[in-house]
Amino acid sequence: MERQIINKKKRVFSVEPNKIPPSEVFTRKYTSHLVPALKKLNMNKNSSQVNQLTVKHEVDMALALSAQEFAWSRFLLQKLSSSNNPTTATSSSSNGIRIQERSGKEGGGDEDGEIEEKLRELQKLLPGGEEMNVEEMLSEIGTYIKCLELQTIALKSMVQDTT
Amino acid sequence: MMMNGGEATEAELFLNCDDMSVLERQRVQLNYHQYHHPGFEPTLPCFFPNSSKMNVGEVDSFLPSAGLDLPEIYGELHGDARISVSPGNITTEFGNSKKRKFGCVDTETKVCNEKKKMMMMMDREVAVEEEEEEKSKVTEQCTRSIMKMKNKAKKEQNSCSNDSSKVTKDSQRTDYIHVRARRGQATDSHSIAERARREKISGRMKFLQDLVPGCEKITGKAGMLDEIINYVQSLQRQVEFLSMKLATVSPRLDFNIDDIFSKEVVSAPMMNLPNTVMPPHMMVNSGYPHDMVNSGYVHFNPMQQVVTSSDPLSCFNNGQSATMWDSEVQNLYTV
Repeated sequence: MERQIINKKKRVFSVEPNKIPPSEVFTRKYTSHLVPALKKLNMNKNSSQVNQLTVKHEVDMALALSAQEFAWSRFLLQKLSSSNNPTTATSSSSNGIRIQERSGKEGGGDEDGEIEEKLRELQKLLPGGEEMNVEEMLSEIGTYIKCLELQTIALKSMVQDTT
Repeated sequence: MMMNGGEATEAELFLNCDDMSVLERQRVQLNYHQYHHPGFEPTLPCFFPNSSKMNVGEVDSFLPSAGLDLPEIYGELHGDARISVSPGNITTEFGNSKKRKFGCVDTETKVCNEKKKMMMMMDREVAVEEEEEEKSKVTEQCTRSIMKMKNKAKKEQNSCSNDSSKVTKDSQRTDYIHVRARRGQATDSHSIAERARREKISGRMKFLQDLVPGCEKITGKAGMLDEIINYVQSLQRQVEFLSMKLATVSPRLDFNIDDIFSKEVVSAPMMNLPNTVMPPHMMVNSGYPHDMVNSGYVHFNPMQQVVTSSDPLSCFNNGQSATMWDSEVQNLYTV
C-alpha cells in the first residue's frame, strides 16, 4: 500500500502527452545520447567483447533520455537507474496499480473481460504502464510507439553505416 | 478568452437555425472549424490535446491562482469524480468546440456553459456529471432527438440563470445541476462517469488506430488492442535485435559515427572542451551522470577534426558519407 502511495507521488504526468515528437529532434537527441555512450563502453572494455546487455541498457537509456517529455520515459529511466544497482530489485512492475477488475459487473460479458486482459498486457509492454490508469496508458502508448519507431530507424542506420 | 467568446458567438448565430438537423449542424461546425483553424483535427471523439491528468492534491493548489489562463496542460476532465475540470477546456479551441456542439442552441447557453466551467472548478462531483453528459452527447453524434437536446439546454439555462449569480459569490458553495439522462440510459452518476470513461477510451483507440499501420479495417476494441500489442511487441523485438547487432559491430563504431552525428567537433587543442560538443541544454536536461558523457567526449575531442554538419540526419541519406568516413578515419589514425 505504501508502495502505491509512493508510486503515486512519483507519478509524473506528461506535459503534452500526445504531442508526437518531431522526428528529427528525437533522432538527433537519440543518437547524440547513444553514440557517446557506446563509445564509452568501448573505451572501458577496450578490446574485450561489449556485453549485449549493457548495449541494450545504453539503447534504452538513450531512448529514455531522448523523450523526456513523456511519462513512460521517466519510468524507464527509473527502472534503468535502479537496475544499475544489482542489489535493488526492480519490482516496480509488480506493485503497480492494476486495471480495476470489472468482473463483478460483467457476469456473462466475456468480451469485456478479454479487453481487460489485453489492456493489461499492453500495460506490461509499456514501461511504467502498470502504474497508470487506462486512459493515460493509452495515450502514452501512442507516443511510445512513435519513439520506438524512430529508435529502430536510428539503430538501423547506425548498424548499416558500420557494416 | 475574449476572442474565443467572439468566435463562439459567430458560430452560434450562424447555427441558430432550428431547421437544421443535429448532424448538419455539427457538420457546419466542423467546416467552420476547419476554415478557421486549419491545423486542427476535427475528430469528434478525440480528446487528446487536453488529456493530461492531475492528482487531486495538485489541482487544489493550482486552482486559486489559475483563473482562466491556464495553458492546455490541465485540459481534460477526468472520468473520476474526484478531479475537477480545469479552465483549459475553456481556453482551448477544441474545448470550445465540444461545448459548442452540445450547446448549439443559443449564446446564452454558451455563456452559461462557460460560467458553469468556473463553477465546476469549485464543485467537482456534480460538475463531472454535467461535463460528461455533454461530452457523451458530443461523441455519440447526438443521436438523440433534437427535442431532448432543447429540453436539456433549457434546463441548463434555467439552472444557469439561477446559479450564475452565485458564481461570483461564494466559490465554495456547491450547486447542483440537474442532469437529464439520455433515452434508454441509466442516470446513475457512476454509470455516467463510466460511460464517459469508455468513450474517452474509444477515442484513444481511434487515435492509436491511425498510428499503427494496417489497422484501418479493424473494428472493435479487442481486435485493435491485439494489433497494437503485436505492433509494440514487434517494435521492441526489433530494437532488441538491432541492439544485439550493434553490440557485435560496435567495436568498429568508433570514430565514424561520432563524426557523422556530432554537430560540432572541437579541433586539435587538447583541452577539455566537452561542453561545446553537445548542446548544453541537453546535458543539463538529461538525468545521465554528467561525468560519464563528458568523459566520452574528452577522449575523442583532441583526435577529431572540425566537422560541421548542420543536420546529422542528412548523413543517413547521403551516399557520399562513406568516403568521408574513410578519410576521417585515416586522419584519426595518423594523429
